[in-house]
Amino acid sequence: MRGGHVTTIFLKELRETLRDRRTLLMMVGLPVIIYPLMLMGLSRLQESRAEEGERSPSVVAVWGGVPHGAADTEAGALLDFKPWLGITAEVRDGLERGTLAPPPLDVERGDEKDATRDGGRQGGQEREAENPVLAAARMLVTARRADAVLVVWPGADARLERGEALGISVYYDSVREESRRARRRLVDHLESWRDKAVAQRESARGLPDGFGRLLDLTARDVAPAARQAGYVLGNFLPFLLVSLSLFGGFYPAVDMTAGEKERGTMQTLLCAPVTSAEIVSGKFLAVWLISAVTATVNLVSLAFTVGRVMPGGAGQMEPLAFVLTALMLVPVTLTTAAVFLAVAVLAKDFKDGQNFLTPAYLLLVMPASVTMLPGIELNAWTAFVPIVNIALLTKSLLVGEAHGDLVFLTLVSSLAYASLAITFATRVFQREQVLLGGKEPWRALVGLEPRPGQTPTPAMAFTLFAVALVSAFYGSLWLVDRSVPVALATTQVAFFLLPAVALTAALRLSPSGTFLLARPRVLALAGAALVGATAWLAIGGIATRLFPPPDSLVRALERVLMLGDEPLPLWTTWLFVALLPAVCEELLFRGFIMRGLRRLGMWPAIVISALLFGLAHASIYRLLPTFALGIVLGYAAWRTGSIVTSMAVHALNNGLVATLAREPQWAERLGLGSTEVSWQATLLGVAGLAAGVALVRAGGRNDGASDQRTAPARIEPDASGTRQRPG
Amino acid sequence: MPDTNAALAARDLSKHFPGVDAVSHVSLDVAPGEIVGLLGPNGAGKTTTLRMLAGILSPDTGTVHVAGLDIRQHPLEAKRRLGFLSGDTQLYQRLTPREVLDYFGRLYGMPDATRRPRIEALVAQLDMTAFADRPCGTLSSGQRQRANIARAFLHDPHVLVLDEPTTALDIISGRFIVETIRREKAEGRAVLFSTHIMGEAEYLCDRIYLLHRGRVVDQGPLEGLLERSRQTNLTDAFLALIGEPVLAEGV
Repeated sequence: MRGGHVTTIFLKELRETLRDRRTLLMMVGLPVIIYPLMLMGLSRLQESRAEEGERSPSVVAVWGGVPHGAADTEAGALLDFKPWLGITAEVRDGLERGTLAPPPLDVERGDEKDATRDGGRQGGQEREAENPVLAAARMLVTARRADAVLVVWPGADARLERGEALGISVYYDSVREESRRARRRLVDHLESWRDKAVAQRESARGLPDGFGRLLDLTARDVAPAARQAGYVLGNFLPFLLVSLSLFGGFYPAVDMTAGEKERGTMQTLLCAPVTSAEIVSGKFLAVWLISAVTATVNLVSLAFTVGRVMPGGAGQMEPLAFVLTALMLVPVTLTTAAVFLAVAVLAKDFKDGQNFLTPAYLLLVMPASVTMLPGIELNAWTAFVPIVNIALLTKSLLVGEAHGDLVFLTLVSSLAYASLAITFATRVFQREQVLLGGKEPWRALVGLEPRPGQTPTPAMAFTLFAVALVSAFYGSLWLVDRSVPVALATTQVAFFLLPAVALTAALRLSPSGTFLLARPRVLALAGAALVGATAWLAIGGIATRLFPPPDSLVRALERVLMLGDEPLPLWTTWLFVALLPAVCEELLFRGFIMRGLRRLGMWPAIVISALLFGLAHASIYRLLPTFALGIVLGYAAWRTGSIVTSMAVHALNNGLVATLAREPQWAERLGLGSTEVSWQATLLGVAGLAAGVALVRAGGRNDGASDQRTAPARIEPDASGTRQRPG
Repeated sequence: MPDTNAALAARDLSKHFPGVDAVSHVSLDVAPGEIVGLLGPNGAGKTTTLRMLAGILSPDTGTVHVAGLDIRQHPLEAKRRLGFLSGDTQLYQRLTPREVLDYFGRLYGMPDATRRPRIEALVAQLDMTAFADRPCGTLSSGQRQRANIARAFLHDPHVLVLDEPTTALDIISGRFIVETIRREKAEGRAVLFSTHIMGEAEYLCDRIYLLHRGRVVDQGPLEGLLERSRQTNLTDAFLALIGEPVLAEGV
């Protein structure tokens, strides 16, 4: 690739785009105008409505006999009490005769978490079972004849006289602003009446002040103003930023690809001595720069507007957070620009391009909206979810609690996604038929064309991994209430084994070549047995020292290894924890995936498949041990050309760990602590592992053996490779 | 082996699209200073053949050599020696012809010292001064085609591949293009062009290839084609050779 040519293409695309008024409007005009208009207009509207609301009194229907003084309002209290307003005959009758009692709260509907978070003051969890009073109050408040209903349950005066507490209920509509305001005023009013009444009781009985109050409880917010502003901004800003910076690249991406095809200029460019990599790079840089400029203009405009509109400086962003947020836009725009280009080039004209890009746009924007949900935060796992990670990181930057390692992880993974997207875009641009406006089967574009009788490609391996991971993710939501054996078996068979077998059948691949279905030598099997018996000691001993797993994980793992809280017979443990994962996971990871990565070479294939194997175990603490085990398993399968060897290692390894977790007394007898493997045992494990690997090596076919069986796959021209022009 | 004297040589070119063999085993040569016509009805495979010759479409089988260079092995060098023009090679609407020429000059690796005078010479030669600084989107089709020709000639290629260069042009613009092609021949360039207009082919071509359903049905100088088909004009010869009935005398 020649830098000069990329620059020439980049500058031309930029010049052409900047001459398009539509793009300029999207890039600069819209963000500069729309935020001030939207936010100021909104806040004006809200302010005037709020002022009006604060001035007008709340209408409160009062049902029942109000105790003396409770309904006396001071001047300006803004409560308009209307005795018996809108009450039904049945309810009035019940209240007057004293047959009605306060209905119990509906416990089932009450959410403990919500109640604690909101201090039990917000609506949503203060529900009672359906009853005539509730129905009557609802009718009145919903019809807006009253803003709230105050119900004084029978016998109030008598209870008051006896020095007891009396029952009062406030019915309101949490969805209506006026009703919430009425509730607040009413509760404030009643609390101040109560305080006075309690003070009277205390002095009447000669008790000290505060006897009945016990606590003077006050809550104070520790969050500085900047953090509060960050919290408010953090809830919607990441979403806005992602969607708007995406929007900036939308039109240029369509214009530079589908638009060029429609106008017939793509073919003109193809006549020139430039490579597709140079074309895609030049165009990509232009789309990226435009996206980045759009995003920056949006950010600046938004920051100014929010700072002006939010009262009391609550909208002031920390300058550092601002700069960091701007930096985050780099990886986001890199990814989206590449995705947009790759998708838009598939379209045959501008209109088609818009149709293609809209779903892609939504797919990219939707994940960013999770930042508006409470409880979803940046952690070691969300840092790997594309787009979401940047949105969450922006959020935590604004709140001022981003950790260095997570920032690093997010940046690294985002850049990885960006380069994947660019690779895909380049691949699409190498398809001349696509550039000339012809149709190309989608399977050819994503590298999923059938390969009868052959082994999978790397693209197929990654696709299968993604399918298995996604189905396991959604499946786990469904499996959460099932018993451990059912969950284990379903995950293994339905999410790991089935997709691998189905894809092999759909792509008409060779089952024996894809899954390494061959008989191993006896020597190799003996080696596998030794490896399986010792690997967990060596790997576990080293890994738990380097990264001690948290107790919660250890307990959860033990629960899985024991197949739940009720101990089942040992053979079931071996079936569900050892045999089933050994068969299914090996066919997936050492079979389809590792064989698919074959053309990358032996060690890259082993290491990458081991990494995916580790990632599939979904815990940062399990990543290292499973990755290490994956390498051992990959080596065994590759070296011996047989999946049976790695299955044997896997089954023995899992089975032994599970047995010892079930029978801790055996572990102690072997000199193993329940949580940590001793140094001696670790060394013993390493020695055994080394001997086992040596046996596997000796019992393996020679290096090329496993490849020769599928030699035609090597000779067959690689569709993407042959069309690459030397740069 | 390709003809080493040929500026453009294709051997056994085939291209298959889903459901159709667009081009089957086509071989052709164009010598320096020769104008060769590619004639055929719609869907005969002319455009696909020309695209493969220009290196913007890879053939399934067969080879293309431009000035002795294999276009698959040396695509960039081969493209530098070839100028391609077709109905699908349009210009950037928001750029002016001068900007377009400058852009392609850079992509063809022409240094400033040769690119700028070459652009000025082409603007003068193709009578483009009046519109050289107006956006291409505002030009007439004749003006656009001149700018397009300037783009194809810009890097002084050995071989010109022109796909129906006069289609959609009025008589004056068409004549201008035809004369330009003759001038290029006189300068020793090899020209391969496809056309629907038999008169143009009769007037310009040293040799003609007749393409029908992706295959070359006949080729040679005009006189040879007329003789073999026992017809008196190219239109009838063409119809006879592709097996269509010749309707009446003098059509």
